[in-house]
Amino acid sequence: MMSLLDKFFGNTRGSKDEAKARLKLLLVHDQVDLTPSQLDAMRAEIAAVVARYAEVDMEKVDIRLEKAHDQVRLTSSVPVRRVTGRTQVAAT
Amino acid sequence: MSECIVVTSGKGGVGKTTTTANLGVALARLGKKVAVVDADIGLRNLDVILGLENRIVYDLVHVIEGECRLRQALIRDKRTENLFLLPAAQTRDKNAVSPEQMKKLVQQLKAEFDFVIIDCPAGIEQGFKNSIAGADRAIVVVTPEVSSVRDADRIIGLVEAAELPEPQLIINRFRAKMVKEGNMMNKDDVLEILAIPLVGMVPDSEDVIVSANRGSPAAFDDKSIVGEAYRRIARRLCGEQDVPFVATEAPESWWGVMKRWMGLGEGAQEVAG
Repeated sequence: MMSLLDKFFGNTRGSKDEAKARLKLLLVHDQVDLTPSQLDAMRAEIAAVVARYAEVDMEKVDIRLEKAHDQVRLTSSVPVRRVTGRTQVAAT
Repeated sequence: MSECIVVTSGKGGVGKTTTTANLGVALARLGKKVAVVDADIGLRNLDVILGLENRIVYDLVHVIEGECRLRQALIRDKRTENLFLLPAAQTRDKNAVSPEQMKKLVQQLKAEFDFVIIDCPAGIEQGFKNSIAGADRAIVVVTPEVSSVRDADRIIGLVEAAELPEPQLIINRFRAKMVKEGNMMNKDDVLEILAIPLVGMVPDSEDVIVSANRGSPAAFDDKSIVGEAYRRIARRLCGEQDVPFVATEAPESWWGVMKRWMGLGEGAQEVAG
């Protein structure tokens, strides 16, 4: 909630940042043609593959698709606590 | 050398017809021979924006079906030399025309005119395909809103898929005050997302409604800021370099002035280039 004082002093953050952030996400989804649940599944699978080789802080995994100029790019930030060096093959 | 430019946007109501009319007028006032073509078959409006609705005898579909010659369908705008309108049919639908027929029509027009400007209908279906068929390049009109930018992105993709060169962008209905307040995306925000070259910025103004009421595009009015914005786009389209954008900065509020006096301000904030 913006306080009246903030409004008076013109210190509020406008809605345009929200517009921009929503658009960036929207345009990727328009282009990629994956449902949000498919995207979630992709994120989980990528993180799981990394987790087979290293100890991953699953809470902080950030894997996203971004639109950069005329291409869609997958960027990922996967915090690793410790590289185990031993392959932990997940039971299937 | 003549050129065919299609004015498109995807979303309706962002100012394609107003842009087409004003660019037609502005280019004609620069001494170019211009034909503006209404490709919105079934929902024509370029005629009313130009104030030429009472002079229509034949239309684009009549020409394509061979019921009249091209010259008979072209309406000359008497307010300026060199501006002609080819109106759309009102009682037909978009399937009355094919992309091949449009291509042929544009070729005929290009033989006579320096600029052929096509007012594309909203949407991405037949009417859009017809409109881009004969075009050499596209201008995409966008307003700084989420829905319009989204549709513009889609249209840019379709224009490039049709193997036209990279389109140019007009940011329409720009509201400097809202940009200043952080409630409207500015020029750089829009360009960051759409990543195509900017050819013009047109401020939001009551002039546009007044000129539509009168059937006299703002580009005829030397005092109109909107008219000036379009005249500058026309100069850029003619290849003139370094034409500055019209002043799109909001007047400073009394509080802003006070803050600056008291040394509290963040300094003059530029909202547009």
